Amino acid sequence: MADLAARPSPLRIARSRLRLLPGQAGVVTAGLVLVVAVVGSLLAPFVWPLDQSAVALDQTRLAPSWAHLAGTDDLGRDVAHRAVYGLRVSLLVGAVAALVATVLGGVIGGIAGTLGGRVDRILMRIVDTIAAMPHLLLGIFIVAMLRPSLGAVIASVGLTHWLSTARIVRSELLSLRTRPFIDAAIGGGAGRLRVLRRHLLPHVLPRLALATTLMIPHAVWHETALSFLGLGLPPHLASLGNMINDGQGSLLTGAWWASLAPGVVIVVVTLAIAVLAARWRDRLDPRVRAELHL
Amino acid sequence: MTRMRPTFRRLVASTAATGMLVLAGCSAPATPDSATGGATLVVATSDEPDALNPVLNYGVDGASLIFDGLVTRDNDNRLVAGLATALPELSPDGRTVTAKLRDGVQFHDGTALTAQDVVFTYQAVLDPTVDSTLRSDLDMVESVTAPDAATVVFRLRYPYAPFLQRLTLGIVPAKLLAGQDINTAGFNRKPVGTGPYRVESWTPGDRLVLTANERYFGGRPRNDRVVVAFVADDNVRAQRMRAGEFDAAELPPKLASGFDADATYRVQRVPTADYRGVMLPTGNPVLADPAVRRALNLAVDRAAMVSGLLGGAGEPAFGPIPPTSEFADPSIIGKPTADPTAAGTLLDAAGWTPGPGGVRVKDGRPARFTLMYPASDTLRKDLALAVTADAKKIGIEVTPAGLTWDAIDPRMKSDALLMGYGTPYDPDFVSYKLFGSRFAGQGYFNPGSYRSEVTDRALQEGRDQIDPALRKAAYAQFQKQLAGDVPWLFLAYLRHTYVLKSSVRGVAPRVEAHEHGVANSLWWNIDTWTRS
Amino acid sequence: MTRSGRLAGAGPVVRRRLLVAVPVLAATSIGMFALGAASPVDPAKQYAGAAAFTASEENLAQLRANWGVDDPLPVQYLRWISNLVQGDLGWSTSRHEPVASVLAARAGWTLLLIGVTLALVLVASLLLGALAAYRRGGVFDRGLRTAAYAVESMPVFWLGLAAIAVFALALGWLPAGGLTDVTATSTSWSDVAHHLILPVGVLAVSQAPWFVLFVRDAVAESLRDDHVLAARARGLPGRTVLFGHALRTALLPFLTLVGTHLPELVGGAVLVETVFSLPGLGAVTVAAALGSDFPLLAAITLVTTAVVLAANLATDLAYAAADPRVRLDG
Repeated sequence: MADLAARPSPLRIARSRLRLLPGQAGVVTAGLVLVVAVVGSLLAPFVWPLDQSAVALDQTRLAPSWAHLAGTDDLGRDVAHRAVYGLRVSLLVGAVAALVATVLGGVIGGIAGTLGGRVDRILMRIVDTIAAMPHLLLGIFIVAMLRPSLGAVIASVGLTHWLSTARIVRSELLSLRTRPFIDAAIGGGAGRLRVLRRHLLPHVLPRLALATTLMIPHAVWHETALSFLGLGLPPHLASLGNMINDGQGSLLTGAWWASLAPGVVIVVVTLAIAVLAARWRDRLDPRVRAELHL
Repeated sequence: MTRMRPTFRRLVASTAATGMLVLAGCSAPATPDSATGGATLVVATSDEPDALNPVLNYGVDGASLIFDGLVTRDNDNRLVAGLATALPELSPDGRTVTAKLRDGVQFHDGTALTAQDVVFTYQAVLDPTVDSTLRSDLDMVESVTAPDAATVVFRLRYPYAPFLQRLTLGIVPAKLLAGQDINTAGFNRKPVGTGPYRVESWTPGDRLVLTANERYFGGRPRNDRVVVAFVADDNVRAQRMRAGEFDAAELPPKLASGFDADATYRVQRVPTADYRGVMLPTGNPVLADPAVRRALNLAVDRAAMVSGLLGGAGEPAFGPIPPTSEFADPSIIGKPTADPTAAGTLLDAAGWTPGPGGVRVKDGRPARFTLMYPASDTLRKDLALAVTADAKKIGIEVTPAGLTWDAIDPRMKSDALLMGYGTPYDPDFVSYKLFGSRFAGQGYFNPGSYRSEVTDRALQEGRDQIDPALRKAAYAQFQKQLAGDVPWLFLAYLRHTYVLKSSVRGVAPRVEAHEHGVANSLWWNIDTWTRS
Repeated sequence: MTRSGRLAGAGPVVRRRLLVAVPVLAATSIGMFALGAASPVDPAKQYAGAAAFTASEENLAQLRANWGVDDPLPVQYLRWISNLVQGDLGWSTSRHEPVASVLAARAGWTLLLIGVTLALVLVASLLLGALAAYRRGGVFDRGLRTAAYAVESMPVFWLGLAAIAVFALALGWLPAGGLTDVTATSTSWSDVAHHLILPVGVLAVSQAPWFVLFVRDAVAESLRDDHVLAARARGLPGRTVLFGHALRTALLPFLTLVGTHLPELVGGAVLVETVFSLPGLGAVTVAAALGSDFPLLAAITLVTTAVVLAANLATDLAYAAADPRVRLDG
């Protein structure tokens, strides 16, 4: 990304205006991509409504053109239009699942980190044991039993991805407990809850927020993987996994564009999140990094 | 092979040296030892059987490659003698069927076939502790006996015109199965039959390897070995076909059309009795109105579905009896394209007036229903969406729902479903249960609880009468009644599409049934296939 | 302390681990069973398989009786779990054979895929990661990190499809799928190896970023360690310092973390097996899920978990045996 900025480009001008350090250009670009993705998928139903079940059998497999920027698929549906809605679904699954995971992980990690000692050891052992379950297998099991649907996909991602959050919260809390200012607060007669609210939460929340953001790409992959296996959302709904799955057949018959747009959307969005994460991970202990699967 | 790096070359060379043909690296498709006639033929399908046992529904309609029935079918699906010396005889009262067995037929393990094996096979199907779902198809059988080692006598509860068609069921050796739990017997994985091929090995999820039965009573197969590769994913199957691994593969029409332009392949589009349609349940308040059903029947654009979704590999369908059948009634054939105007007029006349959001309303009830389709079936998904789009044009709002079968199951009484069925052998076979009121609400038989006395009578007549002319008249009436009542929205008869290497000879397509896979596919006569 | 002395503490550790693992697995099995029971799937129809489409109610009732699926749930659970413990994994409704024979026929191939991939990834990531760390911020480091992020954001099945399109279809170098040549009558290792190149390569590439980045960071950190700095100060050549000292310091914690990454690898293997139609556990898991085959799914999930737990324990014990500074805790 830094290489881009070396050339005289609008980006460079923007950077000089914003007084960014080299390397921050990538972060800003990534941030912009994410903002556009989130705002775009929030506004889509108002600006560019989509009939999920519409087909146009007289316009199948048209190559990209001005009328259809990313071409049309086997059923004559506009690929770009559906990719926007696919992103919307993926981000929704990602956000809700990450939220579920964050709440679960925050509570378990919070209990372990605040109480410490024996409770902490037992809880963390349990977390380790659950971590040994392959997520995808467990996710497949959950989806198979609840039947493939939006709710099942969210449950399958949320219920399998809270472990790293629990570990982060717990290790952050444990390290805070040894800090002098906490001792001072407790020594000053502050109650447990007050310490938690005034001193611990403000430190933990940013980490928690980041952990949640970082989980979104995982959730997006999970959704696409399940859809690819035919276990995701109902196949007529526009989701990135469904679109790639549909496009796989088109690829073989020459309509390469059907899976290109959804693939590019996945890569760009996850890359943007990864770039943001890269800035952050440099400041983390390798062990924590590994646990986050960064 | 010139483009290969040395490491690949070495690997390829070593594999080739062990006698296995390597397809990678050659720009032309590989042609193994074809001249000797000892070739191995490889076919690929998505449909892997659960068990290779006719009692447990494997290859029930014959052409199972491993087993033989008392009768079998020729190129035109006409019944001819199989293990029986001639077509079995029917007694004048239509309730006794006697079959004489061929002499000297042996099972793959060398034991001789006797009438006792036939009796055992049919009794196993009728045994309530065996999980055979054929039982309901044979419920006319009162007893099966073997007066001597070469004679089998079926005694029927009632005369049943197409009974001989049921005798394609493969015969299993009693000796290997007697006294065992047939549901879980090892035989189901490593079966022994009398057919043109013996099972050499079956790696579930991967392949079934069959070797020629030297002692086959119909003559030794013209090839040494047949490999059936099981590749569930359509795209993967197409890729491996393209890579030259298979001699023949079944592919969805759209993927198959990718091979049309290539002279090294040949695409076969085989006519079938395999129809797709929308089952319209009478338990749904909107669909209960015949006007809505008839309007939908006029509104669907079958021609667009055939050309747009099936890539031309199909025919518009208007009823459950395929146009290739002698029982088909031409009078029910409607317009293949949509007629939204006529549909609108019909709805107007019935009191469904345009309402808010373009959805028609009658007595405060909007014209809305849910259309379920099995989520793993791309074609049915596509058809469901096409129906949804067509219905929208006449002011009926359809919500498609992609579900698993077990989720579809409990909802069939009130939600429409994209179904597929059909067999070319006898009009009684599927339709008697699918449209008979006796089977209303029973599983997948008549899930929409369609009831019509005229239909019931016609179906019963078709089953009871032996005289073909009377049967034909009965089924003509049946088809007309269905066309008026529209319990189903028949959409299209598929053509099963297969891609073959051009070098394969001896292929003889015949009209296929809905159910096809290892058995009863294009390769029903693979024992006579050769490679040029 | 002798080596055996160090491992003498292993017994209690194993016991303590089991003390947690067994209840957690038991709780998980109850959870899974509850989910299976709450699921609206009709097990009788599952047992009937595809034939359920045409089975009559009476047929299904017979199936229900045959399989005892109408017994009270606790009874069914106890029957299932006690059979499980005794090694009877149940009957697969999607494959119509015992679960144990499904696992026996397929687990080996999945293990082979994962094992070969893991070995490849370990060697490659140690090499690449160490080199990147040595010239931190250099062209190689930057390029490797960019590539790692790019690969990380691509779904593995996408990589697999691309690999098939390029290496099998366009170039024709490698087979597009399957485990052995489709006409082969026996399994020859050279044939299997030939067929595994693409799947192993794709799985390795998709899993490598995590390993490479970890090694890079760990080595970069240990390059700043005192004993490494000392070795440098003594004028030892860069290669010796890198591979002899820095990498060695980073190696052990890395190896124990490999265990925690195994579940991810299993998930990747499921997808890769599907793309390359390999007859491992992946394809059968998907088929089981589509057929709501509870016994098979539950068995695969529980058995895989147990295997991963055992692998984790083994790496921890090995770590402790190799490094005297490590104290094994609970």
